[in-house]
Amino acid sequence: MKYQSQKIAYYFFAVAMLLFLLQIVYGFIMAFAHMGYDVLHPVIPFNAARASHNNLLVLWLLCGFMGAAYFIIPDEADRELVSIPLAVVQLVTLVLVAVAALVGFHANWWEGRKFLEIPRPLDYLVVVNVLLFIANIGLTLWRGRRHTTTSIVLFMGLFSAALLYLPGMIDTINQTMDSYWRWWVVHLWVEGVWELIMGALLAYLLIKLTGIDREVIEKWLYVIVGLTFLSGILGTGHHYYYIGTPRYWLWVGGIFSALEPLAFFGMAVYAVAMVRRSGRRHPNVLALFWTVGSAIMSFVGAGFLGFAHTLPQVNLYTHGTLVTAMHGHLAFWGAYAMIVLATISYCMPLLTGRKLYETGMATFAFWTSNIGMVSMTAAFAVAGVTQVYLERKVGMDFLAVQEEIQIHFLGLVLAAGLFTLGVLAFIYTFLQAGRPVGEVNPHATAELA
Amino acid sequence: MLSKSAARAFFLIGTIAFSGIFLWLTIDTIKRVPAQTKEENLTPQVVHGKRLWEQNNCMGCHTILGEGAYYAPELTKVYDRRGPAFIEAMLRDPEALFPGQRRMVQYDFTDEEIQALVAFLKWIGEMDLNGFPPEPSLLPVAVPQSTSGEVVAAIKRPKVYNQLCIACHSLGGQGGTVGPPLDGVGSRRDYDHLVKWLTNPQQMKPGTLMPKLPLSPADIAELASFLSQLKQGNRPAAEGNKG
Repeated sequence: MKYQSQKIAYYFFAVAMLLFLLQIVYGFIMAFAHMGYDVLHPVIPFNAARASHNNLLVLWLLCGFMGAAYFIIPDEADRELVSIPLAVVQLVTLVLVAVAALVGFHANWWEGRKFLEIPRPLDYLVVVNVLLFIANIGLTLWRGRRHTTTSIVLFMGLFSAALLYLPGMIDTINQTMDSYWRWWVVHLWVEGVWELIMGALLAYLLIKLTGIDREVIEKWLYVIVGLTFLSGILGTGHHYYYIGTPRYWLWVGGIFSALEPLAFFGMAVYAVAMVRRSGRRHPNVLALFWTVGSAIMSFVGAGFLGFAHTLPQVNLYTHGTLVTAMHGHLAFWGAYAMIVLATISYCMPLLTGRKLYETGMATFAFWTSNIGMVSMTAAFAVAGVTQVYLERKVGMDFLAVQEEIQIHFLGLVLAAGLFTLGVLAFIYTFLQAGRPVGEVNPHATAELA
Repeated sequence: MLSKSAARAFFLIGTIAFSGIFLWLTIDTIKRVPAQTKEENLTPQVVHGKRLWEQNNCMGCHTILGEGAYYAPELTKVYDRRGPAFIEAMLRDPEALFPGQRRMVQYDFTDEEIQALVAFLKWIGEMDLNGFPPEPSLLPVAVPQSTSGEVVAAIKRPKVYNQLCIACHSLGGQGGTVGPPLDGVGSRRDYDHLVKWLTNPQQMKPGTLMPKLPLSPADIAELASFLSQLKQGNRPAAEGNKG
């Protein structure tokens, strides 16, 4: 770590870990409800658990991205962050908004629009908060001594993510247009600008971990984010098949979503190729595991499983079923959760000076959480495909089908237990490293940088 | 070999070009959506229904236009499938209609709010959705139209049967599993018994899970007549998906 202000990243990471844990709790509440144990229904009805689960995911990933940016931008720009107090204010207000939103969900105060449930007055606060963040890293970058491609792509990703939050606030009385704009946010985030963020984090980590020339890594970064936008922008069309929008979206969405796996495939090949070319063995092996793991799992979850139900003739049957949950879980885990965990794994020894990167616990965390998540995806897949056949093909009643697939939610809960064990191990390692204290001597951690 | 500036050009040109196409298609979509969604029927009552739909996060359990959570039924075609009487009864007291089943929040809607939600669901059901939701293509395989050696009577199901009874009871394997199947119910119960039962189930069998349904005397007569004809061995005419 070169700059003292990078330490602020730690607190964002810590909040991210806390929100992640809470997200898992709500996941269990929903899985048990699907199994027939909806004992919490009077206090936490399913829709409250669902809104909390989704919004906590978004919040902890954003917290992770912000922490990552606060660590990476000073390093790349070669200067201290312009304002530490601003970063602190921004973190505190973000937590306050998150708490208000969560409490609101349990008191039936929300917008009832999937993934964007945060009530409107709080939306404005989110916008202000993110603007503070963008200003802080933007100014740091602007006044920096270096303007690297990685830092610019990271900034552009974060900036566009903030900008694309706005279409979600367009008020319309037509449910179809409501959905139309909602996907501008959700799709263009996760299959668009968030991939810029992911690509930039991946590039940064690969530069640091493999020691390969920055020019080579950044050149391929351009190719990958280029592929992402080439397929991802018009790929938004796969959300416009069956919501009351024109029929040509079946063609546009079908063709361009079929290209979407290319970007993720490129990402996976890129990460693996760079690591193979590298002659250097970085001591932080676990950070490398998470980095390459993220590139590979995002291809499997987002690329491959996304493609599995994105063709219009398949999506006609799978649209609005648990098949979506199957794809969603592995996609978010691989592409975004893992890249945040990779960044945390890489940053922690530098932030705290404690070299806990190759402990048994950290290795256990990586494998257990990944095996757990793959098993969860399998459980969702079996439940989802069965639902599609019985409900959409055979024409059985919704609740009768739900009874048939209850058993797969037992499988889901068991797999989620394994996953949670892995996440707890990760958080244990995180806590074990402790807080960044005093001055960190860059020379003491030089071999890790 | 590809240079960095060529890679950057690929990224910038590709992004700008495809953003442009996307914006152009968006403008075209905005122009076409009013016709495709029959916006002329978008009355203030429907808009009120949409606001209620959002304020209570109905999408947090149900799906509509295939979007939402996967915990409660798809509601795009619910107006057709169940009819306004069922939806009203459901919104008034969800647990009475599906006793002991997956629970829905009791929202204590006013009559006006219930009418607004019904109007919203009716409007949603009339949109042109490019073929969604699909007709269940395996239905004829799962529910054979006739079996050799069996007396097959084509008894037409009343509309109200397909909207209400089928939610909990099955017939020929089609329908809900909350109540007992109705195959052969005509051999066990006669017309008069069925009329009394449908008029007030609680009076005939206190403590039964069967709710008093929102049925007119004409509905009851039609249903009782239909059900009393379901003798063992007879099969009703199979229908498309109404489950």
